[in-house]
Amino acid sequence: MGIRKVAETLLDRAKLGLFGFGKVFSRPKYAIFGIFCVILIAYILSFWQNGSGNWQLLCSGLPFSSKLEVLGRVFVTMGDNFTSLWGISIILLALLQGIVITQLVFTWRHREKNATLDGASTGGIGAILGFIALGCPSCGIGLLTPILSAVAGASAVAMAETISQIFTIIAFGLLIFTILRLGYIDYVLASVNNRKEKHAKSN
Amino acid sequence: MQKAIRIAALVAVIGLLVGLVIYNTLNPAPPDMGVWNAAMSKGDAKTAKHHFIMYTDIFCPYCDKFSNAVAANLEKWEHDYIERENILFEIRVTDVNYVNGHSNNSRPAGIAAYCAAKQDNFWDYYYALLAKMFEDYHSKGIGVDKYSQRIPDLDKSYFINVAKGVKLDRGSFKQCVENEETAKELDKNTTRAQNYINGGVPRFVFDKFTYDGFAGTWDTTSDYEQVKTLMNAGLSTK
Repeated sequence: MGIRKVAETLLDRAKLGLFGFGKVFSRPKYAIFGIFCVILIAYILSFWQNGSGNWQLLCSGLPFSSKLEVLGRVFVTMGDNFTSLWGISIILLALLQGIVITQLVFTWRHREKNATLDGASTGGIGAILGFIALGCPSCGIGLLTPILSAVAGASAVAMAETISQIFTIIAFGLLIFTILRLGYIDYVLASVNNRKEKHAKSN
Repeated sequence: MQKAIRIAALVAVIGLLVGLVIYNTLNPAPPDMGVWNAAMSKGDAKTAKHHFIMYTDIFCPYCDKFSNAVAANLEKWEHDYIERENILFEIRVTDVNYVNGHSNNSRPAGIAAYCAAKQDNFWDYYYALLAKMFEDYHSKGIGVDKYSQRIPDLDKSYFINVAKGVKLDRGSFKQCVENEETAKELDKNTTRAQNYINGGVPRFVFDKFTYDGFAGTWDTTSDYEQVKTLMNAGLSTK
């Protein structure tokens, strides 16, 4: 098979993947679940986007009401994310992760366990890479730096900056790949379902 | 089965990473509690009940957000914390962002800060420099985070000119900055600081409470609320 043929096949699959994505999210219950997932993940990413700062505050001796304030302030951070390129990349990451989870649930509920596990591992790696690449390591607010500092000592900051950029790109790539791959499976599943329903009605 | 093992391995990796973050958060290197440069501290070192340390780099926007919020509420902050709570607040200026290749400006800014400290007027110079940087760059969205346009490499004259509005002997300050007279002190303190700032700067070591980074929005009113939260966390963590 020539390169052109392979490229055409991949493009076709990607198109069907997008159709499948559309089919999943045109169902209200999956659309609502998807929105819920996106908001939840955006909250989690916003909580950690400034490194472990919020966690440190929750572990501090602050009174309970102040800790609740810390948790509430994360919503403000979520809103602020729409005003910067960095913030928008976090929102996009949450959006992609929310879509993947919704697609995984759809696939799982249609008893495609193998495809679900496949998607969960690829999407999971993407989600983890995106999560640990959050923040600005050189500015003291990255999750990767404390991880690296355990093994790399003083050079952790410089290493973290480069690695976080690479991780972010890989994370976006893996998540988009997972969405298209699961979308293709969902497209097939939704088409089979439609036929079954039509067949059942005609009988 | 194989895929289930992959998922289990994935969960194990997540657990390990989260564990490392938590371990590093809860077990920071014990800071050097002696004052590094008396001119860079506020409060009475002899009688203070608390010692709050901020590791910073002048060309770290997150550090600057914290200090801008303090500068905008200076009287209140000094009254509520430095005086009432008897805190010794110390800033440890580094040029880690120069060392890490993020900003060439960190070095002359650090040298100038130590030159101002040499004349015992670090604080006025520091706040004047932050105000000038905000006016020239941060307020225009330049140098505000890692995705924004970078602040261009600045000439030493930029840092010398800031001293115009500050009570400093301008002649000796200019000579100090141009000849990099405080470079050794800056280098020494940056090297020392690197043992404690495993997450970069800003790093706050407020008694037993440690905190990395400072989110902030450049709005000194809302940022001051975060400053207060950190200061209170420092006071309440035993």
